[in-house]
Amino acid sequence: MYRLALRMLTRDTGKYIALVVGLSFATLLICQQGAIFLGLLKRSTGALQNIAQPDLWVCDPYLNFIEEVRPLSDRDWERVRAVPGVAWAEPFFSSRATVELPDGKYKTAQMVGIDRSTMVGQPPVVTAGSLDDLRAPDAVMVDESSREKLANCQIGDTFRLNDKRAVVVGFCQVKLGFESNALIYTTYDNALRFTPVGRERITFVFVKVQEGRDVADVAREIRERTGLAALTRGELALRTINFILRETGIGINFGITVLLGFVVGLAVTAAIFYQFTLENLRHFAVLKALGARNRKLISMVLLQAMTVGVIGFGIGTGLTGIFTLTGRRPGAELAPYFPWQLLVVCAGGMFVCIMMGSLLSIRRVVTLEPGVVFK
Amino acid sequence: MSTLLHKPSAAREAGGPTALPEMSDTRHAAIDLRQVSKSYGSGDNVVRALRAVDLAVAPSKLIMLVGPSGCGKTTLVSILSGVLDADAGQVNVFGVDWSKLSADQKTRRRAELVGFVFQSFNLIPTLTALENTCVPLIVRGMRERDASERAAQALKDVGLGDRLRSLPSMLSGGQQQRVAIARALVGKPRLVVCDEPTAALDGKTGQQVMELIQTAARGKDERGEDRVVIVVTHDNRIFHYADHIIEMEDGRLKKTLSQHVRDESHHVPSFEEDDRQQERPTSAV
Repeated sequence: MYRLALRMLTRDTGKYIALVVGLSFATLLICQQGAIFLGLLKRSTGALQNIAQPDLWVCDPYLNFIEEVRPLSDRDWERVRAVPGVAWAEPFFSSRATVELPDGKYKTAQMVGIDRSTMVGQPPVVTAGSLDDLRAPDAVMVDESSREKLANCQIGDTFRLNDKRAVVVGFCQVKLGFESNALIYTTYDNALRFTPVGRERITFVFVKVQEGRDVADVAREIRERTGLAALTRGELALRTINFILRETGIGINFGITVLLGFVVGLAVTAAIFYQFTLENLRHFAVLKALGARNRKLISMVLLQAMTVGVIGFGIGTGLTGIFTLTGRRPGAELAPYFPWQLLVVCAGGMFVCIMMGSLLSIRRVVTLEPGVVFK
Repeated sequence: MSTLLHKPSAAREAGGPTALPEMSDTRHAAIDLRQVSKSYGSGDNVVRALRAVDLAVAPSKLIMLVGPSGCGKTTLVSILSGVLDADAGQVNVFGVDWSKLSADQKTRRRAELVGFVFQSFNLIPTLTALENTCVPLIVRGMRERDASERAAQALKDVGLGDRLRSLPSMLSGGQQQRVAIARALVGKPRLVVCDEPTAALDGKTGQQVMELIQTAARGKDERGEDRVVIVVTHDNRIFHYADHIIEMEDGRLKKTLSQHVRDESHHVPSFEEDDRQQERPTSAV
């Protein structure tokens, strides 16, 4: 009977393809919208993904998100270093800067300054040049995906950074931030020279906790002794994401879009399958008249639903995968993120909605009077 | 051949229908309907499709149900084949009282007892002739390989041995109806119900189909017992295939004609009206 059910499904090529295509696009819609949303949130924590060395990020207690600049003073840095349990503490500078290109055009860039001796906060991957060259005066290293924004600069090229001469000494590969500005690395000292600021000029103090010490304990100690916030990478990421979701319109606007995509995808899936069953209702009535019991017919409907569901979901997630890979190329403005958790959520959603469509269909099949075969 | 009437009131008084010459007791009738009624709709829109119908049919008969549209023919065959419930009365088919069975039990018994041939064939368009014919057997739990062997034989019996793998869309109307007949007979049911089997066919094809149905009526069920074939039809060109013709009107059995003389040489039917049929809307055939 199950083979017959599959033949009934697959041999009606037009309806079968329509069903699979419909489910594939419903899956694509759900997964892709979810992936873009997650990608956007992940991108907002771009700087956090680039820097893995410190255990704690010490910052102003009222800092909302990672790209906000609430500078700390050198005194704050010293106080953090003095907290028991701190192995080392290094300053980190991050600020917007204006780049004047050789053709006279201006670009906004995110300038990152790292400690010149320890290089804590260095870019994770250097693709050209050497990190040591960054110690030279005026030296900067440009993110690969930002090269296009900076007139396809080469090593040795110069441009004006906040109206001061900067020399490109290498290229690196890093995760861009929420604003997708060009990202430029330099040393902390160079950064201060490029961006004259007052006494408070440290964006974050990176802290490594002594071996054997509990990170949470040291963080509490820093908070108590300095009045500053000491956050782990995860805590800062959460704070950033919460800020974007709650304090910007992105959460509500994009959230509605994602939710709509999800609901539409699910509704389309349920409707498509219900329609398929309706179109086959007479055949189910014939089977019923010929002696097929409701239990058997329900199994047939579920088998058909699961078959098209699995195929449609497979194609849909495959398409989302292609979309995600395309979005991952360096410099791409789209940054879809498709973790396995999203795959599971989408699979659960699709399963629920196929079941919903099936339940509607099953209800029709179960209540179907076999007598309709005479009509 | 004989056409005899129940005497309902007398029968009820005696505790059962009147004895018949061919059936010494209607309790042995293949089909025994007593006071069967069925209505559709409610209130002012109620349509009384069947009005206290009594009918007893002996095995090995080809019965035709005729009458104008809306007279209750299809309702009657729907009820006696167990696809529709009667509002009142008793429906006994080969010893099975449909009214006492749950929907599930009814479905199971229907699979064993009844074969169907429909006006519009009702073949599943995505299944081949062989697969369509297999369905009643697979529904009954037979393995697909065994079902296929038996279905192939059934299709050969109706002259379609070379079209096993054809989809319904690749077959002519007559061939599709033959597949439907093979499907109806493959499970060797005791009752075969045919609803306007020739309506969608031309005259010659209709005759061929009726010959198959007539052969089926003379055939045996799985246990080697006689079967009953009931044909609902408007097509007077096929009346001569019937052993009995029951005419219905307004939800009642109006009269019964029994084939009296079959002129084999000219194949001209001659039916004799049973005058007692005029007295009561009840028949035993």
